[in-house]
Amino acid sequence: MHPVQLEYSIPDDTDPQTLAAAIQSHGPSLAESPRTLERRFLDNFDWSLYLAGAALEERHWPDDPEPARYQLLWHDLKQPAGSPIEQWCGSPAGMLDDLAPGPVRERLGPLIGIRRLLPVVTLRGRVHGHRLLNADDKTVVRIMVEDQTRMEAASPADPAAATKTPLSSRLRLQGVRGYERELKAARTLIEDDLGLKPVETPLLMEALACTSLRPGSYSSKLDYQLDPTQRADAATKCILLDLLDTVEANIDGTRSNLDSEFLHDLRVATRRTRSALSQIKGVFADPLVDDYKTRFAWLQQITGPVRDLDVYLLDFPHLRDSLPAPLRPHLDPLRDHILAHYDSTQSQLAAELAGGRFRTLLKDWRAFLEAPVPEPPPAKPSNAGRSIKAVADARVWRMYHRVLDEGRAIRDDSPAEHLHELRKSCKKLRYLLEFFQSLYPKDCVKELIKQLKELLDMLGRFQDQAVQAAHLRETAVEMHREGTGDIDTLLAMGALIGQLLSTQQQARGQFAEVFAHFDNAANGERFEDCFRSKRKREGQQ
Amino acid sequence: MTVLASYSIKGGVGKTATAVNLGWIAAEQGLRTLIWDLDPQGAASWYFRIQSKVKGGGKALLSGKRAPDGQIKGTDFDRLDLLPADFSYRHLDLLLDRTKGSRRQLQQLLEPLGDDYDLILLDCPPGISLVSENVFRAAWGLLVPTIPTPLSVRTLDQLRSFLDQLEPARAPRLLPFFNLVERGKRMHRETMETLPERYPELLPVRVPQASEVERMGLKRMPLPAFAPRHDASVAYRALWDELRRQIEPTPRR
Repeated sequence: MHPVQLEYSIPDDTDPQTLAAAIQSHGPSLAESPRTLERRFLDNFDWSLYLAGAALEERHWPDDPEPARYQLLWHDLKQPAGSPIEQWCGSPAGMLDDLAPGPVRERLGPLIGIRRLLPVVTLRGRVHGHRLLNADDKTVVRIMVEDQTRMEAASPADPAAATKTPLSSRLRLQGVRGYERELKAARTLIEDDLGLKPVETPLLMEALACTSLRPGSYSSKLDYQLDPTQRADAATKCILLDLLDTVEANIDGTRSNLDSEFLHDLRVATRRTRSALSQIKGVFADPLVDDYKTRFAWLQQITGPVRDLDVYLLDFPHLRDSLPAPLRPHLDPLRDHILAHYDSTQSQLAAELAGGRFRTLLKDWRAFLEAPVPEPPPAKPSNAGRSIKAVADARVWRMYHRVLDEGRAIRDDSPAEHLHELRKSCKKLRYLLEFFQSLYPKDCVKELIKQLKELLDMLGRFQDQAVQAAHLRETAVEMHREGTGDIDTLLAMGALIGQLLSTQQQARGQFAEVFAHFDNAANGERFEDCFRSKRKREGQQ
Repeated sequence: MTVLASYSIKGGVGKTATAVNLGWIAAEQGLRTLIWDLDPQGAASWYFRIQSKVKGGGKALLSGKRAPDGQIKGTDFDRLDLLPADFSYRHLDLLLDRTKGSRRQLQQLLEPLGDDYDLILLDCPPGISLVSENVFRAAWGLLVPTIPTPLSVRTLDQLRSFLDQLEPARAPRLLPFFNLVERGKRMHRETMETLPERYPELLPVRVPQASEVERMGLKRMPLPAFAPRHDASVAYRALWDELRRQIEPTPRR
């Protein structure tokens, strides 16, 4: 079905009229009216498509009569000459759920998940189409000559005032199925007579080359390359500066609520910042640490309510499906209730993030992190001048033992708070391992993080189900008070609470086994190999 | 892939115009569409300026000597392809009769095209024959253009009687609609008033009789491509919208 499509670069000094005349002299042809074409190359904030070797192009012809239609084209960047996969839609692409089923959506699903597709590059151009005809005036080959201009909006508030950067013009040769001989003749015209060369760079890459964008530049994953001998205060500043970059990168997306992952990443970076402040001990002065711990706790607190609602909404289909079929429709008022509160909660958050308190926090924090560390290193705090490796060894080893002590103390009848405390310690240990992973053998740390993650997942299930059940109960009281939940809805919510608590109990029952999997001899040796012996060596120097 | 047939026992009811115009609208809306011109007269092929010729004729197709895939031609319109007619299709009944599984041949030929197309429209010759039985087996729905006259209604009754004899799981959905409607004619108005009682499945769209439809042969292109705002084009779009509502989610046959 896919017609053969070939693309050629048109040298800048080529006269368009000479080109058109050459096409017309090839044989019977029909010149079509020029059309304006807008192209957007889309990806999510994580560059998931680009990193998977794909490009998503959205074409739109703004001058065409209503209703507007958008053509989505999925390109394989590894095979630029291959035919793209296409799908049509009635509105610009954004969230996956808003896209009708189709071959492009099918490919997007596993890659973008709940992230919004955002424009990476926007191009605008004119397409001059020519149809080569046979004796029956039937189209046998199509030739499209396209000029392209990259449009960069000066500000989101004023998209009309865009900076325009012209790109090279291209000629597209499109075969018509069943008329291969005619395509071959047209190729001879384009390649031999006109001397045009096939394009080597996909349009997306050419457009990206004239931007400051670096594909794949954003990732919420931690990947620091620390120098083991670096001073601990300087290395800690590097870690915190990177986390600050992540917080800042996610502010606009959070304020305009492009998708829920912006807020999620902002909160994770905030949590990691707080963890680094409290866990990489003795590298900065205590009053400064206390001050910023309080200020970042405030940030965590103001971002909490929207995140809670996001979790509800994201989990809602799963929660609904977990109920027996007759109860499911009765849960819908719960979603309506959440949605009704969402906008005002989100507006409050957006206002806080635009406010002076937040701006000052970011400004002060950046100023501190970017300031050079004092020379010579101060005697106090005591770890500031030590090597980051020595500090990391000590902190990880200590936190590992805290996890062991807390975990081993848990019995079948231990209160839930003990598991909650253990979870907090595990998270601290995980963050430390992630911050410092470049200082240790990769495979070893990777395995330790993996084992820890299993334990954290179980503890997370235990804790989250309880929190969700409690939250659901509060919401039920609220809905009852506001009159938005009838008796059937409240009963369905009750059934859901029962299920959540039952799942929580299942997780509780798995604790001993999962913890034993973490607290085993092989893991102990790994920790010892990585963190203990070297710590001693540091100590002996 | 959904297979729809534009079919009627009676000739001259607008089967080809229906297949050609709906195919164009579906492709314009983004569906990868194939029209198979099964009528040896080759009117659909003519509308698209494509020669009514298949290498090796119907015999080569049915014998498997040549796959339909290699015989398909692109039309002048994006996403719309055509499997041309061939004069040898006038003997298709005889050819089918000689092959094993004579009622499943068409279905088997269409199956490999499932990955390439979202919609296949069969433009069928009139009559009821072994070709028709193949169409009934292959198609999800039979789109039956019906002129609101007693003769046309009679053939619709005949078709329903025939379909009623098929196993329900193997019978296509009957999708009649009023075509070539002349509101000035009393007989048309009366038929359109009374028939829905007997045929609740009648699609709620009436395509008017229009000289513009006849100009398709002159222009050699689908009506909505040269007269997008004409009443008949609007009616075909409404017909497609209604069909799409009934088709989705895409059934597989």
